[in-house]
Amino acid sequence: MTNTLDKPIYNDDIVKLFTLATVFWGVVGFAAGVFIALQMAFPALNIGEYLTFGRLRPLHTSAVIFAFGGNALFATSYYSVQRTCRTRLWSDGLSKFTFWGYQFFIVIAAIGYVTGVTQAKEYAEPEWYADLWLTIVWVAYLIIFLMTLKNRREPHIYVGNWFFLAFIVTVAVLHLANNVSIPVSLTDTKSYPLWGGVQSALIQWWYGHNAVGFFLTAGFLGIMYYFVPKRAERPVYSYRLSILHFWSLIFIYIWAGPHHLHYTALPDWAQTLGATFSIMLWMPSWGGMINGMMTLSGAWHKLREDPVLRFMIISLAFYGMSTFEGPLMSIKTVNALSHYTDWTIGHVHSGALGWVAFITFGAVYHLVPALWKRNELYSMRLVNMHLWIATTGIVLYIAAMWVSGILQGLMWRKYDSMGFLEHSFVETVMAMHPFYLIRVGGGLLFLIGALIMVYNIYRTIKGDYEHAEIKTADKKSDATNTQEVAHA
Amino acid sequence: MIDWLTANAGVTGLMFFFTVFIFIAVWAFRPSVKEQIEDYKNIPLTGDEK
Repeated sequence: MTNTLDKPIYNDDIVKLFTLATVFWGVVGFAAGVFIALQMAFPALNIGEYLTFGRLRPLHTSAVIFAFGGNALFATSYYSVQRTCRTRLWSDGLSKFTFWGYQFFIVIAAIGYVTGVTQAKEYAEPEWYADLWLTIVWVAYLIIFLMTLKNRREPHIYVGNWFFLAFIVTVAVLHLANNVSIPVSLTDTKSYPLWGGVQSALIQWWYGHNAVGFFLTAGFLGIMYYFVPKRAERPVYSYRLSILHFWSLIFIYIWAGPHHLHYTALPDWAQTLGATFSIMLWMPSWGGMINGMMTLSGAWHKLREDPVLRFMIISLAFYGMSTFEGPLMSIKTVNALSHYTDWTIGHVHSGALGWVAFITFGAVYHLVPALWKRNELYSMRLVNMHLWIATTGIVLYIAAMWVSGILQGLMWRKYDSMGFLEHSFVETVMAMHPFYLIRVGGGLLFLIGALIMVYNIYRTIKGDYEHAEIKTADKKSDATNTQEVAHA
Repeated sequence: MIDWLTANAGVTGLMFFFTVFIFIAVWAFRPSVKEQIEDYKNIPLTGDEK
């Protein structure tokens, strides 16, 4: 009979593995992003068959979303579910299987991309064999999460776990529905989808937008609801608001997908439905952002003292900004200008770099000393440096894409007095060049920030402390000074 | 009954989900359980590590 006051022995080894994988894939994904941004600015960099933009672009998106983001979600959900349930993660063996199984999925998907094996569905490029493998890994993840919840010694299931569970379940449903396809043969990588035409497009964007809504939002809100209060050492602003946040987000997000198909063959009512639900998303998104930020109510000074918390709060600011911009872009008249332009790319990156990556960096900086039993990180100075370099990078990136996207949209729609298009397509491409260079600069800064994080984490795991080194150096220089004085 | 539901699936679905949502909102914001619900927010802070 276990006493509820007993301290459970948490499985932190698995969290360590996922944390290291998060950092590793993050660097790979950011570097791939910088390279393809360079390819946009300098097309000569499309080298050979395997390193063309068309093949590396899904490599970049999958590396950052599924490899970096996915591993971060595994790490943080496994870490926080144990602590909020006060119980060990269910099944060491199966959780280890989710780690190696998930890495294997990433690798076979990536090999597929560079060798030209793809379903040509955005964010769902992997072919049938990789999809089936991911399904097995994902079901294992769901079972582990559910069994851990079942074994909990805390009567209430904390709201962060609701978000994680909604993410796991919904991603499973989306993945299964969007990947129903029949392989040419069991030895062939090619398959054909069961859905066709506009139905296929609708299912794809129901999947695609909810990959944003449930993978990149609900899952990362799970991180926010655990790690922001933990770091701030204060409970979340309002638990009742978090309940309302959860249910309104879950109920509304699932309907927003059709806004990706404005002015297409999709029935007009479905487009309007997608736009309407997107606008309704303002409320839960901002409710959640306010709930996260107001956690610091009465303790704002912590922002000045802790750059890790600063990462988290800036991520919430970007979350608020991109969830304001998204509904705006779903309005059909705005979309008529923004769709297919770089504005969309800028929007995605303000969410992905600002929200997803920043909340992940915050969580990783919190996790590493906790997991490796260090008193603190190697260097808070380096965390701060990472923060400002990366923030500058994001601002450069999104500002360049705003200008570029709106310019692009305006150039595409400009007519002369005779009713002919004013600009040829190649003219619009040439006009984009300076902004593509700025984007490369922004991406490079973001990558440099991540490399600073890698160094900081490496030194932390090694057990070094920067301020201890500084103190030792001071003592040495004091000793030298004393000697010099003595000699004099 | 089922014929009527399928013919009016949009409206019935909307009403169903809207009613469930309103029920959840009212349930969560009952003044009588304010303290009990708000107390759950301390769960992450009462762990045993940093």
